[in-house]
Formats: sequence, C-alpha cells, structure tokens
Amino acid sequence: MSRLRKQTLDGKVETMLLSVLEDGPSYGYAIIQELGQRAEGIVQLGEGTVYPVLHRLEEKNLLTSSWRKAGNQRQRKYYRLTRKGRKVLAENRLQWELLSRVMEKMLGPGTAVLPQPKPQGARI
Amino acid sequence: MVYAKRDEKDATNIRTELEDHLLQKISDLEAKGCSHTDAVFQAIEDHGHPRTVGHGLRKRFPWVDVRTHGTARGFIAIGPKAIGVFAIGGAALGLFAFGGCAVGVFTLGGFALALLLSFGGFSAALFGIAYGGFALGLVAIGGFTCGIVAIGGFAIGLWVPHGSKAISYFTSETVPVYLRYFGGLLANKHSLMVFWGVFIAMLAIVLPIQGLLTNKEYQRIKRADPKLVE
Repeated sequence: MSRLRKQTLDGKVETMLLSVLEDGPSYGYAIIQELGQRAEGIVQLGEGTVYPVLHRLEEKNLLTSSWRKAGNQRQRKYYRLTRKGRKVLAENRLQWELLSRVMEKMLGPGTAVLPQPKPQGARI
Repeated sequence: MVYAKRDEKDATNIRTELEDHLLQKISDLEAKGCSHTDAVFQAIEDHGHPRTVGHGLRKRFPWVDVRTHGTARGFIAIGPKAIGVFAIGGAALGLFAFGGCAVGVFTLGGFALALLLSFGGFSAALFGIAYGGFALGLVAIGGFTCGIVAIGGFAIGLWVPHGSKAISYFTSETVPVYLRYFGGLLANKHSLMVFWGVFIAMLAIVLPIQGLLTNKEYQRIKRADPKLVE
C-alpha cells in the first residue's frame, strides 16, 4: 500500500493547518481530527507534529490564539487566522495550483493508483 | 515541559493546552466504547514519548541548545548530533564543528571535513589546511598526506618539502618559489609544534565543555523526574 513520504510532506504541514483554520477558529484536538478527515486517512498528523507547527505559526503572526472555557470548565486554546495568515495561505494555494498543473503536464493525468482511504493512515 | 525548556508562563500554557487535548481524546475514546483505563493508555501512547514532544516544543534556534538525545540545533549546539554555528557532538555540522564526525568550515574530530581548517584522525580540508593521521587538502600535514603541499611520513603532492617517503611532482630544483616559500613556512619544526599545540588546546577546551554541559542537562532532567531518565 502506497504511503505519503515524509519528504513529500515537508513544508506542506503549515499550509494544511492554515487551510483548516480558514473556516473559522478551532483548537488543537479538533484541528488534528479535521486534518485526518480531509486527508482521508492517507496521512495522519500526530500531536507531536501539529502542536509545534501551531506554535511556530503563532510566533510568525500567521495565527493568533485565545483561551475559552470548554466542557468541565477546562481552559481551551483556540487558534484563528490573522490577516497575514490568510495572505500566506492564498499565496501557498496559488503556488500549489501552479505546481499541480505543471506536474500533471509532466506526469500525465490519472496515471497513479491512489490508495484506498483507511481509518488509521500513515502517522507522522 | 522538562525537555521543552520554556519559561514558566509558556510552560503553563502549553501544559494546559496539551492536558485539554489528552482529556478530550480520553473522553472521545470512552464514547467509542473504550474503558477508562484503555482510553488513558491509548491517549498517552498516541501522544508520544515526553522527550519527543518536549524537543518538538523547544524554541527553533536558541542561543544554546543542549540535548542528551537526538539532534541539538542552536547557535551553540551540543548533543549526540548537533547543528549550529558552534556544533559539538558525535556528529556535528556547523561553522565550527567538533566531534566524532565533524563537517564545517573549521573542524576537529575523528573524521573531520572542512572548507578551511581541519584537525583529525582522518582530516580533509577542501580549500585549506588539513592536519591529521590521514590528511587531504590544499596543504596536508600528518602521517599519510596528500595535497598541493604535503608534509608527512608518507606524502604525495605537487611539492613535498619533507617526508620519509615522498612522491613529489616538483623537486627542490624545479619547485616554484612561492611553493618553496609556503612549504618552508609550514614544514619547519616551529610551525608543526604550533599546529600540534592548537590541536591539543582545542581538544582540551571542547571536550570538557561538552562533558560538563551534557552532564548538567542530564542532571537537570533527572532532578525534575528520575523516571524520565533511561
């Protein structure tokens, strides 16, 4: 069964996180769940990968955070995109679309057999 | 948080965030039918080793990064593997690299690869001086040497001023003046003593620093929680 290589994912995780937060503020656990659903099990990013990247994006001012009360009066940290984060996401989206177009011309459409989605994908 | 080395405020926030994550995960697993014990075990196992999580939460490139496992990254990096301006480790990459296997501009190590100056058992300097048991470089000094100017027990080079066994392109009659002068500058006893002295001095400075700081880090982690230390 084909797996997405770590080198292929390098540099893309930030864009993936920004795209999840495009729909609205969210917190770490929900972000990881959403990423897993959107990736259809092909890749599953763990908390060891996601939280450092979230903090890094916050340090770069692409995200901002706030604390809210969750169930059982727990404190929960919510992240949302900043204006700079939206701009970077739009740029990355354009870059990706251009790359996809080029690669499709190089490799031809539909030549790869995509793996079937499975509940537990390759864990990064 | 012991491994993350964050200030108290950051550490508290991160701890709260990750605690919420774990509790939410446990709650979801229980909702799917897991027992509480199994859910806790699964959540902690999926979270990963504290060291892996902690190292991932460190600042990206701090002034000083000392680790007992993995790769240290910082202006001064010390660890089993190290990347930095000053890198000290079993495998080191940096402007100044010291270690078992050292790669950089100025290096010292068992296997030392440098752009300008290398000292080591096996030593290679692309555009500079290599000093070692086996030395390869623009200028190579040591036991077995190969370079434009080679000085050593067994030496191969364009010009070999001194060597027990020598293979030299130029002879003392045909060698260009600048190479003769350069070779003379490096091949005298005084220069060789200086190189040897620099080598010993670097070892005497770097090895204790590495040992002290690594041990300090190990003791810091052990004081925080002896169970974390393997």
